[in-house]
Amino acid sequence: MTQIKMTVNGKSATADVPDNTLLSEFLRENMRLTGTHVGCDTSQCGACVVHVDGRAVKSCTVLAASLEGADVTTIEGIANGKDLHPMQAAFKANHGLQCGFCTPGMIMSGIDMVNRYQAEGQALTAEAIRHELEGNICRCTGYHNIVKSIEDAADEMSGMAQAAE
Amino acid sequence: MDLSGQYRIPADVATVWAALNDAEVLSRCIPGCEELEKESDTEMAAKVALKIGPVKARFSGRVKLQDLNPPHSYSIVGEGKGGVAGFAKGGADVRLTQDGDETVLDYSAKAQVGGKLAQLGSRLVKSTSAKLADQFFDNFSKAVAG
Amino acid sequence: MSDGIGARVERKEDKRFITGKGKYTDDFRVDNQAYAAFVRCPVANAKINGIDASAALAMEGVIAVHTGPEMKEDGIGDLITGWSITSKDGSPMQCGVWSPMVTTYGRYVGDAIAIVVAETQAIARAAAELVELSYDELPATVQVEAALADGAAQVHENVPGNMIYDWEIGDEAAVNDALAGAHHVTEMRMVNNRLSPNPMEPRSAVAIFDEAEDHYTLYTTSQNPHVARLVLSAFYNVAPEHKLRVIAPDVGGGFGSKIYIYPEEITCLWASMKTGRSVKWTSDRTEAFLTDAHGRDHVTKATMGFDANGRIVGFKTDTLANLGAYVSLFATVTPTYLHGTLLSGCYDMPAIYGNVKAVHTNTVPVDAYRGAGRPEATYTIERMIETAAREMGMDPAELRRKNFINEFPYQTQVILQYDSGDYHKTLDMAEEIADVAGFAARRAEAAARGKLRGLGYSTFVEACGIAPSAAVGSLGAAVGLWESAEVRVNPVGSVEILTGCHSHGQGHETTFAQVVSDRLGIPVDNVSIVHGDTDKVQFGMGTYGSRSGPVGMSAIVKALDKVEAKAKKIAAHTLEASEDDIVIENGEVKVAGTDKSMAWHEIGLAAYIAHNLPEGMEPGLKEAAFYDPLNFSFPAGALICEVEVDPDTGVTDIVKFTAVDDFGNIINPNIVEGQVHGGVTQGIGQAMLEQVVYDDSGQMITGSYMDYCMPRADDVPSYALDHNATPSPLNPLGIKGCGEAGAIGSPPAVINAITDAIGNNDLQMPATPLAVWTALQNVKTSMAAE
Repeated sequence: MTQIKMTVNGKSATADVPDNTLLSEFLRENMRLTGTHVGCDTSQCGACVVHVDGRAVKSCTVLAASLEGADVTTIEGIANGKDLHPMQAAFKANHGLQCGFCTPGMIMSGIDMVNRYQAEGQALTAEAIRHELEGNICRCTGYHNIVKSIEDAADEMSGMAQAAE
Repeated sequence: MDLSGQYRIPADVATVWAALNDAEVLSRCIPGCEELEKESDTEMAAKVALKIGPVKARFSGRVKLQDLNPPHSYSIVGEGKGGVAGFAKGGADVRLTQDGDETVLDYSAKAQVGGKLAQLGSRLVKSTSAKLADQFFDNFSKAVAG
Repeated sequence: MSDGIGARVERKEDKRFITGKGKYTDDFRVDNQAYAAFVRCPVANAKINGIDASAALAMEGVIAVHTGPEMKEDGIGDLITGWSITSKDGSPMQCGVWSPMVTTYGRYVGDAIAIVVAETQAIARAAAELVELSYDELPATVQVEAALADGAAQVHENVPGNMIYDWEIGDEAAVNDALAGAHHVTEMRMVNNRLSPNPMEPRSAVAIFDEAEDHYTLYTTSQNPHVARLVLSAFYNVAPEHKLRVIAPDVGGGFGSKIYIYPEEITCLWASMKTGRSVKWTSDRTEAFLTDAHGRDHVTKATMGFDANGRIVGFKTDTLANLGAYVSLFATVTPTYLHGTLLSGCYDMPAIYGNVKAVHTNTVPVDAYRGAGRPEATYTIERMIETAAREMGMDPAELRRKNFINEFPYQTQVILQYDSGDYHKTLDMAEEIADVAGFAARRAEAAARGKLRGLGYSTFVEACGIAPSAAVGSLGAAVGLWESAEVRVNPVGSVEILTGCHSHGQGHETTFAQVVSDRLGIPVDNVSIVHGDTDKVQFGMGTYGSRSGPVGMSAIVKALDKVEAKAKKIAAHTLEASEDDIVIENGEVKVAGTDKSMAWHEIGLAAYIAHNLPEGMEPGLKEAAFYDPLNFSFPAGALICEVEVDPDTGVTDIVKFTAVDDFGNIINPNIVEGQVHGGVTQGIGQAMLEQVVYDDSGQMITGSYMDYCMPRADDVPSYALDHNATPSPLNPLGIKGCGEAGAIGSPPAVINAITDAIGNNDLQMPATPLAVWTALQNVKTSMAAE
């Protein structure tokens, strides 16, 4: 057993967990944050993507014990109170989800890619979005509306970033 | 899966043959070998830790030597179980030919894998096996020559 | 009404999914919960001699290990098949016995042998590894064509030659005559590759036994919880129906694979009773590949004959269908009545004959997967007609137009009667959007860059909402395929719809509410949809076969008819008007031509307060209906795929994909388009990427996303869609169903495009870069030889 301490969605989280506990297990079983989903065993599907210290990470590939002091954000932690994150709102407005299982990972990956491209001052084209989604599998939507959702959210987020400056 | 190869070992046929039947030598040369026991002249039991692609497991297996024609050839058949990682079974024909001071060893092997090894690692089995064979004969050549 | 039929309403269910608050089966944690893992057969065919669980039981945290023979002793039944097929010689089909856990023989890699129940999932899985099996490995049969060969290993003793049935449809003599006199005959052998459905949520079950009440609750990943309860009760003897509650909460996709009641659900229920613990099992992805029912796996030889004018004179197919080691719930109907009956496609064919031989192999059972039988029929027909056009030097679109059915209803030679359609206009629209006129220039431009461009068509028709119940019964179905609905108008005027359909991505909470909104004039936010819980909802048949629109919504309309009739009576009584003068407009129940009206909350309140109802009227405003369709509905479409092939590598890009569909009337275009996007993507997956592979010994070697290639975002294009609706005259909303069309129509469009690009019709799915490159080399070799 290892004692771990990290911040999850802005709150401090402490637990004793077996050494081989994955971050995805810790979030789902210890924190009961079941919005982070597990869709495969080989780190390909991306349903488990969360943010660790601001970067997208597949939570099924990280040991919880390795994240001492880390700042973890899950799908449950991105809305601002009752206000949806622009990425969440864009998925709803563009019908970017069907069964909803891959959606948390898609949204977390989407936010990460928009942030990275904006930080580098690069345009996030539809082609780039499709390329960036290599690690997120959706079986329902055919990706068409997911790409539209991320494009729309990118516009919204860049508007917000400019307004903040 | 079929695999075959040829190695030149710097020793005469009789020495190579003896080493091939020596559990102590084999256990030193087999990559990942943790235990090798000779149960009779033609039977051995082994525990080997292996990693093939994403599958890592400790295999325990039995090996039988057949069609012995000392010191020129034999066949090995065996089966190893790695728990949920799956199993591997197969056989190899091994032939030794004297060439000057050296022995030429030819082998051709057939193997079948099952379980996680097949489901997750099958595309890596052949390349991994070839690599393991090279490692083994490299070790073996050194052991025999030394 | 902006929320009504045809409106692009944003989905009501989305908020919980985008905020991570969806509740899927594995998200439930119940009192007294333990976890299960299964010990599975490691080889494709084995006689199990013994199981030694001592090491597993000795592990800390292990509660129990149970096996198949114990289940049998407790009277748990064998799995059933839901549709009996009669062979052409009149004999009944033969199929092997499928016990939830192996009693003697393990018949495919993954066959469940024992269940381990432990305090945590990690312990259960680790303990399952410690269970020692002693078994004799037996020879296995793996490939469909090998299963019927002389001397093939027998999968089941009671199924000689591995032949489950040898079925036929149509008139063989008429087809033979027609082909003998044909001006041109096209022949092909086509493989419809074996697929794994792969909903992103793996199967899961939480079984809860309440000893005090002698009652079971099962949370499970099901497309049809009522059917699950019925089968678990009546055939598997888990518990009587009133002692068993089945809940299918949020379900993360199904595509057919969650229709069936699998060994794991049955076993978890039984294990819950045995151990006195609640038992949760969640599949991992490799387990899903090994045990979720697969789809397709047909090999078909087809012959199509034409007269000198290019009219089809006869069409003949011989199909081998691999059903795997056991006959899954609806496995038998997929290659027969869902495939053979579609062999006319959208063409007027005077003579058709189809033969289907279904076989057992030592592989996981094969059953319905998105489209189920219709993709296989469409692939055969659409590749044949495109290839025939090339062989005859005709334009493939013109050859189709020459043979299109022009008048409806149309009676095919293979049972079905099509309801409505306008295939010419649909194809015209698709050609316009795809800019077929500009294709020659694009092809030349690509050639200048050293690339090969190709264009492929698929004009398909399919059949949704299998019906009517009496007809399917006469063809061997064990169940009727009607649907139920209950409409509850609450005293405050809000509405609850209880439906027997189940939503696992289809957006019923929105579209069903739109139907109510359209009819009663209330906002969709005042309507809630209740589904997926046998304790809450009346019996219903669930969601598959694109049935929830044409069948499920029709049941809602029927119940709404009754609600409306009663509401009118209440309004007429209250407003002192004649019932004939009452109309429903803008959310109010009105006396026509006056300003006298009642809002729905006033009607609701009047019905429940019941102080002033018409003489003899029962209080309350709640009506139920069961709707049994008169016929299938027949969505159709024209798909055009344009590809560019790199001749040096065989890598193929889909540069444009156009789909014009006729789904009849559309409730919510966003949702319908989403279904097409997803369906076409699965079809592209089948055509270019996906294939389950077993090695010769029956080991599956594509057991993860590293080896089974799922379509990713950059494998597929953005789609160009449009609709050409001809409403179905057979249901009240005029809708036809849209869930499967994309997966049904798209594979031949893709392959026709690639074969057009490379100039070789001899190409099988999946058209991987290697397959395409090899087909290209074969063209070069044969050209060199000439």
